[in-house]
Amino acid sequence: MKKQRIGVYICHCGGNISDYVDVEQLSKLIKDEEGIIISKDVMFACADSNQKDMIQDIQDQKLDAIVVASCSPKLHTHTFRNVAIRAGINQYNYAQVNIREQCSWAHSDTPMDATIKAYGLIRAGMNRVSYSEALENVEIKTHRAVAIVGAGVAGMRAAIDSARMGNHVYLLEKDFFVGGHVAQAGKLYPTNEDGKEVVSKLYNTIRQMPNITLFTGAHLERVSGSVGSFTVEVKISPRYIATNADPQKVHRVFTDCCPENSNPLLYKDKEHRIMYKSYPEACPDIPVVDVERLQSNVAFYEKYKDIFDVNQQLQLLKLNVGSVLVTTGFDFYQPTEGEFGFKQSDKVITLPEFKKLVESNSDQLIYNGKPISSVAFIYCVGNRQTKGENKYCSRQCCAATIHTSIQLHEKYKGVKAYHVYRDIRTYGKQELLYQKSSQLGDIYLKYEEKEPPVIDCSGTRPLVKVKDYLTSKKEISFDTDLVVLVTGMVAREDRTEIASILKIPIGSDKFYNEIHPKLKPVETVIGGVYIGGACQGPKNIAESVQSALSGAAKINALIKRGTIALEPIVARINADACVWCGKCAEVCEYDAIKMVELNGKQIAEVNPATCKGCGICAPVCQPDAIEIVQYTNNEIESMIDGFMSQVDIKEKEVDAESHEEAKAGMKEYPQVWNQIVTLLDGQKLTIPQISEQLGQESNVITYHLMTMNKYSVVEPAGLDDDEAYFYYKLKK
Amino acid sequence: MPHINPDFSTEIKKYGAKDFELCFNCGNCTAICSLSTANESFPREMIRYSTLGLENELKSSLKPWLCYYCGECSSDCPRQAHPGELMMSLRRWITAKYDWTGLAGLFYKYIAAYIIGFLLIIAGVIAFASLKDFNQEVIMHYGHYFEMFAIAGVFAVVLVPNIIRMWIYTIIKPKVKAPFKSYLSAFSELIVHMFIQKRTLSCEDTRETRIRWFEHLILVIGYLSLLFTTVFLDWFGSQNLFVIVLGYIQSAIIFVVTFDFVLKRIKKKSELHKFSHPSDWFFVIWLFFMGITAFMIRLFIDVNIIENNFWLYLFHLIILVQWAVIIVPFGKWTHFLYRSFAMYFSRIQEIGALLKK
Repeated sequence: MKKQRIGVYICHCGGNISDYVDVEQLSKLIKDEEGIIISKDVMFACADSNQKDMIQDIQDQKLDAIVVASCSPKLHTHTFRNVAIRAGINQYNYAQVNIREQCSWAHSDTPMDATIKAYGLIRAGMNRVSYSEALENVEIKTHRAVAIVGAGVAGMRAAIDSARMGNHVYLLEKDFFVGGHVAQAGKLYPTNEDGKEVVSKLYNTIRQMPNITLFTGAHLERVSGSVGSFTVEVKISPRYIATNADPQKVHRVFTDCCPENSNPLLYKDKEHRIMYKSYPEACPDIPVVDVERLQSNVAFYEKYKDIFDVNQQLQLLKLNVGSVLVTTGFDFYQPTEGEFGFKQSDKVITLPEFKKLVESNSDQLIYNGKPISSVAFIYCVGNRQTKGENKYCSRQCCAATIHTSIQLHEKYKGVKAYHVYRDIRTYGKQELLYQKSSQLGDIYLKYEEKEPPVIDCSGTRPLVKVKDYLTSKKEISFDTDLVVLVTGMVAREDRTEIASILKIPIGSDKFYNEIHPKLKPVETVIGGVYIGGACQGPKNIAESVQSALSGAAKINALIKRGTIALEPIVARINADACVWCGKCAEVCEYDAIKMVELNGKQIAEVNPATCKGCGICAPVCQPDAIEIVQYTNNEIESMIDGFMSQVDIKEKEVDAESHEEAKAGMKEYPQVWNQIVTLLDGQKLTIPQISEQLGQESNVITYHLMTMNKYSVVEPAGLDDDEAYFYYKLKK
Repeated sequence: MPHINPDFSTEIKKYGAKDFELCFNCGNCTAICSLSTANESFPREMIRYSTLGLENELKSSLKPWLCYYCGECSSDCPRQAHPGELMMSLRRWITAKYDWTGLAGLFYKYIAAYIIGFLLIIAGVIAFASLKDFNQEVIMHYGHYFEMFAIAGVFAVVLVPNIIRMWIYTIIKPKVKAPFKSYLSAFSELIVHMFIQKRTLSCEDTRETRIRWFEHLILVIGYLSLLFTTVFLDWFGSQNLFVIVLGYIQSAIIFVVTFDFVLKRIKKKSELHKFSHPSDWFFVIWLFFMGITAFMIRLFIDVNIIENNFWLYLFHLIILVQWAVIIVPFGKWTHFLYRSFAMYFSRIQEIGALLKK
């Protein structure tokens, strides 16, 4: 039903609008429009006094809708929605019209045109609000449980904090052991802690927390539901160790089941053993059985029969959670065959392999039975490729390499390190590592992408030739015992599996995408699904943990109240018109549209919890059965009509008095003006001082003070001692 | 293709270089240096060659000599890599490379070599004196002849061959094509820089720079003219009042200026004086003793108490022989020569480069 009793408030904004837009004339003209009961121009619509007046007007005149023509809806939508609620009308029967940012400020050179545009905008707002519906927020119940996908350091740390905040955490790990890459990274910068220690510390904390359930060998199968109430289906692979087996015996059998892996560069020894762990100290401390190998080795099976349980089956679990945090991490870039001699010579290895080598050699660095006395690190392998796939910088490899190089000097005597780099990016405190490595005599050579170093492995020792940009691009050579390729981070090879289950968008760099890198850094476009750690892009451990923790905090804020209020601005299906062609479900990025049967007819149904009201479904619907609430055809068409209709506006007469009148109108200025005037009585203060003393944000104070300055209430009184801020005082 | 020599940094450190590996090639040193030009830019390039140990590039370069060590680069280095001190060390290293006897390198690298050399000379002089029954007049007579022959010998045997080697390293091996005429036209460079050292004044213009240049100027003039006065005018034996007074003034200049130099090295106030290699100490201290002992000997002659002070003359003689046999041919004294020849060769290189264009 069309609204018939509308109130319109047009704001001067202390001159910000009224200097260019003839608001007095507009308010007079609008008063005569159909359905308008009240039309006022006010000095500051947001002022407390005006808010009170508006409530009074709504109640006295029995208004059913209001329009406020002032600034951007980003600033005051909530202010005036609250006015509506306090006055007893529905908050969605209010329309905000922006005649400041989108009109007076933009057209300050042509006040007449600005006035005409403002008139159109206000009429569009009036027409729209006349078709507005009373709406209620969508209330959704939330489960106080979180699923965290990936038990690397980021996931484990987030699990601990999420659990401490009182949520139940299901920590899902695809591998049979937790810790991901960090568990096998050896010594870590800047603390020199061992990656294994970090992982086992986290693991032991998790074990002591009753409200964290850790699943290893867990495979995410399906996720349904929406924010606040997801059902996560997980497939758990068995370890084939009997649940009642004696742990000591398991351990004993594990240690003598077959010889240790001889190649130190291989992390996983499952290729060789019936029972395996990623590394000896891996958590949880239960080996996994390669069941095929066990069954082919009958003698071994018969001997230790009691610790095995070959009948264990895949388990399918359904978990109810309020939110999902994805911390699946990254893969290291694998160089292609021949890239800097990789795989063509066994003297060319990658940094993760080299770190493993350093970890396993204590007194002397030995590789393939030969002592290593010099190492060449080639940086940016597979990263920062202007023409290749990975255009980004992995940001942690410089520091990791330099830290490894320092370890070489500390652990072994007389090992020489050459760093063939493109740029050194040891930001923050890591710079000290770079300095230390230089001090220890490491030699740095700089190459450009277009002229990469050449590794010649034809001789007994690899010969590296570099066009060194620091030595006037001279081609310089050196021999080395080992070439280490510093490989960066790439998105996980299996990224699309989880992305398609959770509908997380993948960016051009193939990592998962957040909504906004600064303002919504851990949120995805899917409500209730968050990302943290290196699945989002290259990060070091500290940064991974930070982002995962911020995800945990966001999730807690979301689910802790038990309910979530969502704006009701969503798509709505006209069940009579819908013929279920499925096109809307196809285009929906949020998976919010499903087919349902209603009285034997197949129609589309929108889940208001997942729908974002983006509107992409409406234009693809051929029978026009979809409407977006607050953007219905009626509303949009009436807005166009209102904006395009004929206007009759007279040129504003400018006189000296009007300025004085405006000043007189300052009686209505907001409360904060009074406070500033009282504060400045007899003293001069800077903006930060005023904002501190009034407990207001400095941008608010700046805005008011500038307006007060314009109307000669205050004036500047010189710079402060630091010459950073102006003092302001009252103008006599 | 130049090949990296990772052991060079250990080697150059023996010549006094400090922490230069810390350099991250920002180039601030080169930017701040008032002597560095677009064609002859340093010290960054020299640090780079030292880091990589490109000895051929270093040996053929004259750039170490183009620096007069004002210390601006060291005080502005963001990594405290002391580029100024590296340039100084390279001068020592390159001197050792020019020296065909190899003794310069020994003296620079091992302080023990210096001490052994000095002790041997003390023993030799005393042995010689005892051979002549400590007869003062005879010894003074031989001392006088020693000076003459030492100058001629050191030049003929050590310094001239070394300068030829320097010429080979910097002009012949890098294949600089300069016509013979250029050697004549550039000759004025050699003389001007040898005696006036006017490039010092192109260092950052401060009061300190001007004082340093002035002290250096009067020291060079005082030293060379005292050499002339003692060797050719026979100062110690002369009766000519003008010669006597001249000698007093010259020797006084030497010990006053060198005393100031020693003080500055002790105080370490400016970058230039922060690090003192043994060769720096020996140079200033020996020069100081030469000046002061010469002054006192002539004074004792004039007040007629020289007969009772034979040991003073012997001390002077020991200092003189050590100076002439060790410090002049193999120590810091040679910088005076190489530096001016570097300016000369640099000018010839420049003419060669211009002709090539």
